[in-house]
Amino acid sequence: MFSNVQPRQAAAQLLNFGLILSTAFMMWKGLSVITDSPSPIVVVLSGSMEPAFQRGDLLFLTNRNILQETDVGEIVVYNVKDKDIPIVHRIVRKFGSGAGAKFLTKGDNNVADDTELFPPGKAFLDRTDMIGSVVGYIPFVGYVTIMLSEHPWLKTVMLAIMGLVVVLQRE
Amino acid sequence: MAVSQEKITLYNLADLKNTSDDAIPNYLNSLGFKQSHHLTDVRLGLGYTALALAGACFLWDYKLGFENTKYYTAAAVLLYSVLNGLLTVWIMFVEKGVIYTGTSKSGDTVKIATSTKKNVPQYNLTITTTSKSGKSETIAVSRPFTEWFDAAGHFVALPFQTMLATSIPAVGRLDPQRAQAGQDEKMAAYTPEMLAALVQENSSVARATAETSTTGADTGKKTKQRRKA
Repeated sequence: MFSNVQPRQAAAQLLNFGLILSTAFMMWKGLSVITDSPSPIVVVLSGSMEPAFQRGDLLFLTNRNILQETDVGEIVVYNVKDKDIPIVHRIVRKFGSGAGAKFLTKGDNNVADDTELFPPGKAFLDRTDMIGSVVGYIPFVGYVTIMLSEHPWLKTVMLAIMGLVVVLQRE
Repeated sequence: MAVSQEKITLYNLADLKNTSDDAIPNYLNSLGFKQSHHLTDVRLGLGYTALALAGACFLWDYKLGFENTKYYTAAAVLLYSVLNGLLTVWIMFVEKGVIYTGTSKSGDTVKIATSTKKNVPQYNLTITTTSKSGKSETIAVSRPFTEWFDAAGHFVALPFQTMLATSIPAVGRLDPQRAQAGQDEKMAAYTPEMLAALVQENSSVARATAETSTTGADTGKKTKQRRKA
């Protein structure tokens, strides 16, 4: 297989592999740009929004307010500083309007609202803390990523298999 | 005669095509054709530019975050799709399966495109010869792979080169021996040399088959031993 491989042929094979990765990445970025969200697709990691969403549900977000402002009742995803896991909860209170509006959120399945989750000294969310509102979901599909993050060695195995297949197969 | 050391799986059409594709530049370049890599180079250039752009986009996104760089990211996504579109157009409408372009010393440019149909073990060649005066001629040839692969999966160079020399006049002129051999074969009149070559070929096939059967027996033994253990 690797005997008498021409440099151009090797470069072309490497390119095929690289283009698969880069195209996937650029499609993700394209979706990011369209929805104006750094992470337009997220996976639900906890049961705090049951029965609306279960662990493993795949959510589609948009961070643009084209028709109307973000309002009470919407399910939003927000990031808290110093915590890298995004949280999916529903808006239960809104104070003010426009860019200066303040929001309070709560998980449907939680007893209390999210004040506890916010960083110390912060009693509400700003619009800029949110990375998007949920516009659609696919149940359970995201469980794969939960598996992958809970068992990191699976990632290595998957990458290795994909790489081998692409490098060894020319067509 | 040249029988490849490497064995391929005869049931793998991509292997058959790739091995044959790789043999064309070897043969034509040995006849003094000067190979042009223009088509491949443009493809690699477009592809690696797109790859570098995606890499840069990944880096600035990773280092600076999404909000600070989203307009650059938008531009990069747009440019990336344009480059990828160009690459697709290049592969589908310009390269069109061309695996070799070369110019002989007499000035004939030969362009060879090859293709296979799914589940059909035929090698389809489209050969465009452009003479020095600019006159262009296209020949289509379709031959079964069995002509130049033996039963064990070795590539046999002689019949393959004969096929090329007889079907492409510009090649035949440079290799009259092979072109002539093809003519003889057509008349079914074998010269003693050809017969000798054929006998040799057959014996090498037989040897190869014998080898595979012995290795088969070996593995059989091994599995038996393993089972005992």
